Amino acid sequence: MLKIRNICMLQRRWKSGKRRWNVLQHKKNNCDRALDSFDDFYGSVYGGRWKNMRAALLTEHKYVAMVNNFGDTEQTCSMLEMDGAINIKSLIQLARERQESGEVGGGEGGELNLATRAHYDIDGKLDALVRKQEEREVAAIYPSSASEDGHVPPQQLKYDKETKKDELETETESTEFKQSLTRALEEDVQLDESRLVDPQFGTGGLYEYVPANRIKGMEDWVAESEHYKYYQTNVDFPLIIEPDATLQYPEHLAIYTYEMGNCADFKPPRQCLTGVLSHFLMDGASVLPPLFLQVQPGERVLDACAAPGGKSLLMLQTLHLDQLVCNDVQESRLNKLRHVMQEYLFDYKQRWAGKRLIFSHNDARNLDEYGSYDKILVDVPCTTDRHVLMHQDNNIFKPTRIKERLRIPELQAGILANCLRLLKPGGSLVYSTCSLSPVQNDGVVHMALQKVFTDHGITTRIKDLSQHTALLGDIYRFEQPKGLKYGQMVLPYLPANFGPMYFSKIMRDT
Amino acid sequence: MLRKLIFNHQRQQLKCLATKATLPKLVNLEPEHIEEAIKLEPALSVYTPELWRRAHETFQNHGLETVNFLRIVTANPKLLQRAPQRIVNSLEIWRACQFGEHLLHLLLTKYPELLDVNDAHRLLSLIAYLKSRVSTNKNVWKLLMNSPDLLEQSEQTIEEKLNYLFEIMRIEVPEIVKSSALSLPFEELRCRHTFLLRLGLFKPRALKADPNEPTTNNRLYQLTDTSEKSFATKICHVTLPEYEAFKELLARELERKTRKRKEDPFSDDDEED
Repeated sequence: MLKIRNICMLQRRWKSGKRRWNVLQHKKNNCDRALDSFDDFYGSVYGGRWKNMRAALLTEHKYVAMVNNFGDTEQTCSMLEMDGAINIKSLIQLARERQESGEVGGGEGGELNLATRAHYDIDGKLDALVRKQEEREVAAIYPSSASEDGHVPPQQLKYDKETKKDELETETESTEFKQSLTRALEEDVQLDESRLVDPQFGTGGLYEYVPANRIKGMEDWVAESEHYKYYQTNVDFPLIIEPDATLQYPEHLAIYTYEMGNCADFKPPRQCLTGVLSHFLMDGASVLPPLFLQVQPGERVLDACAAPGGKSLLMLQTLHLDQLVCNDVQESRLNKLRHVMQEYLFDYKQRWAGKRLIFSHNDARNLDEYGSYDKILVDVPCTTDRHVLMHQDNNIFKPTRIKERLRIPELQAGILANCLRLLKPGGSLVYSTCSLSPVQNDGVVHMALQKVFTDHGITTRIKDLSQHTALLGDIYRFEQPKGLKYGQMVLPYLPANFGPMYFSKIMRDT
Repeated sequence: MLRKLIFNHQRQQLKCLATKATLPKLVNLEPEHIEEAIKLEPALSVYTPELWRRAHETFQNHGLETVNFLRIVTANPKLLQRAPQRIVNSLEIWRACQFGEHLLHLLLTKYPELLDVNDAHRLLSLIAYLKSRVSTNKNVWKLLMNSPDLLEQSEQTIEEKLNYLFEIMRIEVPEIVKSSALSLPFEELRCRHTFLLRLGLFKPRALKADPNEPTTNNRLYQLTDTSEKSFATKICHVTLPEYEAFKELLARELERKTRKRKEDPFSDDDEED
């Protein structure tokens, strides 16, 4: 390709090479910002384990290969087996046999018990984090000299919305499901009555010291600590957690992986006789949410945030689906999805497009075919921890996207709550993110469950997937059950560098 | 390092010459010395007393004590059959490096193989190069004490490692000469450093930071003078399988990066690190 630099050599500014420290200094980019933020946040959440995850996140991740059932299936399977890959189906079989034989010897109910009566130490950690963040923000605005002057800096920065809330509607707001940052930002600035000096009492009042309680020019400032406050712990909706039914592995689905510790590569996909590609390479952890959704024959399924299409394709490869609706908010992402489907589905135009596979271009919060889906996969937009550490483009840690980033949990909870309404009673959904943040995982599930209960009277049950994950313990590294409330999570771990991937299965009752 | 060295020195002395350690100074080569040396190194038994006497005299003339002579020949028996002139030549070459008599003797006693050197030009230019990078003769001596295999490495490989240590790891000379970092292959050094970086355990120093300011990073010798297992478990606090997986993944990542760069040498990607 012709590039300008190839044609005309630019004049060099430093004739003797760059030597000065400020020239040599590494400019902080979006990935560094993401890393700093994660160090701070996850470091306090996961403690000593964070460094192992950090190293894994910063290193290449591991793929699994999903065989395309519309191509030369047998040839592909034997090719992958020749390279030493193992079918996940047979691994699950083995684990199940081992579990059964183990159960005869000694009871295994203890593990489930442990999961249910787990005490969630993560709550305390997040509280501490919020406090620390607030202190840091206060310190950033009130320099340390201020306290020496006898001014006492406030415990917590109050931006306009909170001050008003406290004054006007003290109690009502605290019980509401969350403080909407968006609404807060749109509210007008009001005069602070307490600081007006009435001229009839003379100007003497002006000389009295009035402590500042709001910062001018920062009305639309969003503090980082606000983000962590999305994680709430008080439960005022009926919460039922029950173990999920036994995992039925789809008969026709063939997914190949290498064992833990083996970091070999898969061959790139090749063209089959039918004109489609032989296999699809995807992150190993992305296999789990659609697998645990357990699509049954004849069901109508929605993929609420479908692009780039790996998970949708997996559900199609089970050959169970009656109809799949793929929704995404961006046209470009939808095009990418369409492209993937064309490459992998045989006779795409005649047999699939518009009939069994429907594309919809909507914000998932605005879909309104309520009560019409059997299964929904909600793979929400998140901070995509691996992506933001490795790639500069489309990075949510860009300084100009700070508000978007801090408001992600709000968006996620909105999508999840709306998807719960789209389910038929008795239908179930899997909520998944590829983030390690407890705020975006358990925090969002909590917010959404609370919201659908208070606003729409929908009751739900959380399906405990720990039995299923126990079967996959040879391939993935899972977070211990006691760290998570509502779901399971795959942790990045160097010998099995999948994930991160959080997933929670929720069934709608009424 | 020096303390370690002296300690080693003493220990060796105690071990191999326990009986003679009490004697004030050995001047003459006694038959029992030879017997004991042969016990330690059976290959020495083929040489005649004449050869022993001749070699001993050569070393003594150049200021090496009998204890040191015995240690040198037990570790490098072929010296006995070498012509005195050749030994003297090697010693002269080493003397030209200007480490000082005492330090030179310590060096040669620790690594008697260094007496096999006969290419004066090559050695002196290497020493001059090392001196230009670590500034003093004493530092060069310390480097050689820790990694004698420097003599067999080409200047480019040493340059690559030193540049990495100075510019990317930002480590100062005193720390470098205390470690055997230069004995490690460059890939290994880079792999260990990158692993620590990604774990978040190694914070590169700020460019304008005061070199005397203490760092929280592990010392260089802890990084380089450890086996793979103790590096993973004691320094990084991870399991060995994790480090092994990382080594494999990093090698592939770097290979992919260089391949990409070769294909598109003008691409503008400012990658991390």
